[in-house]
Amino acid sequence: MIKLTPKLSQKLSYLILFLATVLVIMPIIVMIFIIVKNGISVINWEFLSSMPRNGMREGGILPAIVGTFAIVMCTTMLTLPTGVCAAIYLNEYARDNTLTRLIKLGIVNLAGVPSVVYGLFGFGIFVMFLKLGVSIIAGALTLSIMELPVIITTSRNALNSVPYSFREASWALGVSRWQTIRCIVLPNALSGIMTGAVLSIARISGETAPILFTAAAFYVPHLPHSIFDQVMTLPYHLYIISTQIPNMPSNVIFGTALVLLFMVLTMSFVAIFIRIYFRKHRKW
Amino acid sequence: MVDKIKVENLSCYYNKKCVLGSLSISVIQNEILAIIGPANSGKTTFLRTLNRMNDLNLTYSHRGEIYLDNNSIFDMNRENLRKRVGMLFAMPTPLPMTIYENVVYAPKHLGLISKKFEQDVLVEQALRDASLWNEVKDRLKSSAMKISGGQQQRLCIARILAINPEVILFDEPCSGLDPISTTKVEELMIELKRKYTIVLVTNNVKQASRVSDRTAFFLMGKIIEIDTTDKLFVSPKEKQTEDYITGRFG
Repeated sequence: MIKLTPKLSQKLSYLILFLATVLVIMPIIVMIFIIVKNGISVINWEFLSSMPRNGMREGGILPAIVGTFAIVMCTTMLTLPTGVCAAIYLNEYARDNTLTRLIKLGIVNLAGVPSVVYGLFGFGIFVMFLKLGVSIIAGALTLSIMELPVIITTSRNALNSVPYSFREASWALGVSRWQTIRCIVLPNALSGIMTGAVLSIARISGETAPILFTAAAFYVPHLPHSIFDQVMTLPYHLYIISTQIPNMPSNVIFGTALVLLFMVLTMSFVAIFIRIYFRKHRKW
Repeated sequence: MVDKIKVENLSCYYNKKCVLGSLSISVIQNEILAIIGPANSGKTTFLRTLNRMNDLNLTYSHRGEIYLDNNSIFDMNRENLRKRVGMLFAMPTPLPMTIYENVVYAPKHLGLISKKFEQDVLVEQALRDASLWNEVKDRLKSSAMKISGGQQQRLCIARILAINPEVILFDEPCSGLDPISTTKVEELMIELKRKYTIVLVTNNVKQASRVSDRTAFFLMGKIIEIDTTDKLFVSPKEKQTEDYITGRFG
């Protein structure tokens, strides 16, 4: 038995903590490396801007890119205003009673529901019951329900981070509660709200299960004409070409994965830049 | 002498626990009324009731009446009341914007001014009245968060003066300030007395004796004694008052 001196135990714990950190970031680095190495060869303008050909084994992935963008745009337009308004209500106005607590509990629990359940729910409600069919709007609505709890939670955190004394100072001057929210609370919470929004956009652009039954198509030979059209999407397209199509060239699979990864990572970086920018310009 | 504020049988509760018991007190027009007392004596609760800042606290409730110029403040619109009864907090609370914007913030939202030159006039006047103009006139467009604590506190006073209230409530306005800033704020209070009615809550007994006309001594949610400051400090009637102002307890 080696006796652990304070110095040795210090070194040992440092080593363990360091190894744990390396272990966390290793898979990400390896994954990005493999995807870039195998997929970069197919990335060119034609791949990004043309329709798939020859049973999707050749050609480009334009419809999938457009479809993903369309769904993400629709979802954001639905969730962001609703989510921010709900967050303002819950954080600034709602009294602490049973109903409010029930709503908060609901929001927390909604965030924990598996995404495939959302997909089936959306299929039942939007596709079948409301007869929207398998379409962009049905997929966007389904994703919205899934994303709302996240937007509400991050927006509430952002609102909460604005010091209470600012609100009190404003009220004490006779300024009404709504004006205080509009002119003091919201501008100062904006960075947090924006960051949360961009991160959730990144998250929904990679979701597969919720749009599986509600929006995604195996193959559509044209670009979507309206929000009631089916679309191809990147994550679902990736799933199909990796599992359903024989003799699929692997560099196309990796190329598609690379495009999806690039989209998601770009949005994460945008979120980081927003945060850095606002932190530098924060006035308190 | 006109009673500006008249408090009748006011009792305040947090979670049904009584923190102020049947208080009756008047504030005379253009006086400085100081309220002294140890911690937990209900001074701040009393002050925050006067402009209904406690309304949003769900555990808070009250009984009794408060009249401002013979009108019950509980019948008034909260925003209108606060426009007439301004409040300065213990810690300086500048809003995260420029010095200039801090002063025009409330007048703009209350619809008191609209034109640009009116704003300029108002800002200069309010800052002069708060004796801050000379220190900040060259940097009105810089952030209010960057000036010193004492300057911030005077900016907050300027902000209140800009909406031209009738009563100003000071809640331990100097507790976070250095002695020089404290002197400035105190001189300012005496200056402001000519136009406004002032209620000053303070932990600093000497401050009460320096600036106020009358002093009330609160203890455990009751008024033990209220008198002109000269009398209260020279010959207090109650033993507890004497003990407190001579520093034997509290």
